[in-house]
Amino acid sequence: MLDISSLSRSYDGTLVVDDVTFRVTPGRMTGFVGANGAGKTTTMRMILGVLAPTSGQVLWNGSPITTGQRRRIGYMPEERGLYPRMRVSDQLVFLARLHGVDRAEAARRARELLDHFDLGDRADDVLDTLSLGNQQRVQIAASLIHRPDALVLDEPFSGLDPVAVDAMASLLAKEAGDKPLLFSSHQLDLVERLCDDLVILSHGKVVAAGSVDELRGTGPDRYRVRLDGSDAAWIRGLRGIEVKDVDGGTALVDLDGITPSELLSQLVAKEPVAEFTRVRQPLSAIFREVNR
Amino acid sequence: MSTATTSDPTSTSTTEEVRGAWRVVAEREISTRVREKSYVYSAVIMILGVVATVVLTSILGGRPTDYKVAVTDDASAAVVSAASTVVDRTDDGSTARPQQVASAAAAEKAVRDGDADAALIATDDGYEMVGKEEIDSTLSTALTTAGSTAALTANADRQGVDLAELQKGSAVSERLLDPADGDAGARQLAAYVFLILFYITAITFGMSIAQSVVQEKESRVVEILAAAVPIRAMLWGKIAGNTLLAFAQILLLAIAGIASLAATGETGLLTALGPAVGMYVVFFVLGFVALAGLWAVAGSLASRQEDLQSTTMPGQVLLFAPYIIAFSAGAGVKTVVSMLPIMSAMLMPSRMAEGGVPVWQIAVAVVVNVLGAIGIVRLAARLYERTLMRTERKIGFGEALRLSE
Repeated sequence: MLDISSLSRSYDGTLVVDDVTFRVTPGRMTGFVGANGAGKTTTMRMILGVLAPTSGQVLWNGSPITTGQRRRIGYMPEERGLYPRMRVSDQLVFLARLHGVDRAEAARRARELLDHFDLGDRADDVLDTLSLGNQQRVQIAASLIHRPDALVLDEPFSGLDPVAVDAMASLLAKEAGDKPLLFSSHQLDLVERLCDDLVILSHGKVVAAGSVDELRGTGPDRYRVRLDGSDAAWIRGLRGIEVKDVDGGTALVDLDGITPSELLSQLVAKEPVAEFTRVRQPLSAIFREVNR
Repeated sequence: MSTATTSDPTSTSTTEEVRGAWRVVAEREISTRVREKSYVYSAVIMILGVVATVVLTSILGGRPTDYKVAVTDDASAAVVSAASTVVDRTDDGSTARPQQVASAAAAEKAVRDGDADAALIATDDGYEMVGKEEIDSTLSTALTTAGSTAALTANADRQGVDLAELQKGSAVSERLLDPADGDAGARQLAAYVFLILFYITAITFGMSIAQSVVQEKESRVVEILAAAVPIRAMLWGKIAGNTLLAFAQILLLAIAGIASLAATGETGLLTALGPAVGMYVVFFVLGFVALAGLWAVAGSLASRQEDLQSTTMPGQVLLFAPYIIAFSAGAGVKTVVSMLPIMSAMLMPSRMAEGGVPVWQIAVAVVVNVLGAIGIVRLAARLYERTLMRTERKIGFGEALRLSE
């Protein structure tokens, strides 16, 4: 379990990360979202110890994380970087050995990861002869090469096509297993699809954190109603609801003091109902709201 | 994926991993470098250069000469044979051999055609030496001495005089208070070769440290490395790897030098230079390690390859200064500088090659270099840690010193 506890960082007197606290629970993918400059990268760097916090600490299973434990985190920095003139497999093996993996095991693992990305035949090629997308795959392989105990990935999906995103997501799900996994992204649809937990950062502060279901449930109780008739305008006359929108036989309403079944029985009493659905707030709406 | 490591991330292997990381870094430095063709070529060219210098010096310098002297009669031949011992006075194995020809004209022809170095022809009042354009002074002196001694002996015999008695008390011997070294020129040359090779090797491998560091910054791989191993481990690895390479090159050069001295029969010079060559290798390592720290910092201050020109300046000056001093400064300045850190690593072996360096000065130079290397590398480690992760722009040495952790 990875706990970020009251982490702050200032540059030349400006607070860029302000008292950030959240938990990355093992076995759950935690998405880290926020506008550009919200402090995601700075926070991740402090988790890895690449950057020293001004105050606060990082906890691993409840106690302050040690250097040795930090080395067991798989990290993909925002600024991608590997040795451009080094062979793909050579650099993966090199990075694995830096983490203390022996050469034979490192070579096996490199092969396994490259195969997953269908890059097995490029293992002996120099990195900068690969396409950017493939370099990105090697980059993620580099963060997984030493079978880390936790993963911290900064924008792992940026620059990938939808097929590659799926391959990456399935690999992460498999590799993360029951380990803590934190990744940042600005692709909200992706985060919504993949994440179990969410941390939203705005101007260096955590503005929302929790499970995706919880967060989406924090909005008003909104229902979409589709009637058999062609005009639903009459429902504006019902009490206990706020009608947000009417379009032909379809209406969007927020419950205001009545239960869903009360609304439904009022509707059915007047006209047959074709559809009655709870509308979950999309993440983008939450995101916009907290960033206002 | 094992869950065991998750539940026990504090396993002892973690600390060992961190400890051995510098070796992995050093290995990469070495394997990357030796794969570069330019590295292999420059090493081969330098080794060939050393061999060529020794061989050329040997050919142009004190090679034994075999003088051929054309003679027309036995008496002259005897004089030439006697001259041979005089020619070899410096023990360099030179000889003078008589070459019998039929006539004075034939002797002159032999000289003119270059078949003989000179001709010795008996005349009415002694001997005449015939040369083409000039007569080698050693040969001329030897023939004159041998010729007059032969005549003197013959005359003394004829008149019944005891020559030994006659010459009694006439011996004038020579004693030098500060004898000039017969190999002085060669030693001087060796001193300069030491300097030049030190300079080239230290610059080559120093720059390769700086480049390797800035390359990691430029490619941003440094962030992954910093997350994987302590920044110091990266520094140690780079210093160790490149020092080992530079040491290997200097060692090869030293071996090539010694082997070619031995092969050309320069045993005298070999005995004189041997200790200097040995100390040269020792000093090189000490000087290089200290400089390696500076080169690494030069790399971490830069944000792009182009910045290296200015950030490597201190290292370049430290290497170039001894070079200038060796060629232009007086003996006093040289003596002092040859006991300062880093610079002495270059100057001291060079002075040792020239000869006459008191042992205490060598000892001081070694101690000062060891201390200097330790001090500089420690300072370098601090600067390196502070500046390595700052990839956005170039940082000055002064600014780096003021930076907080």
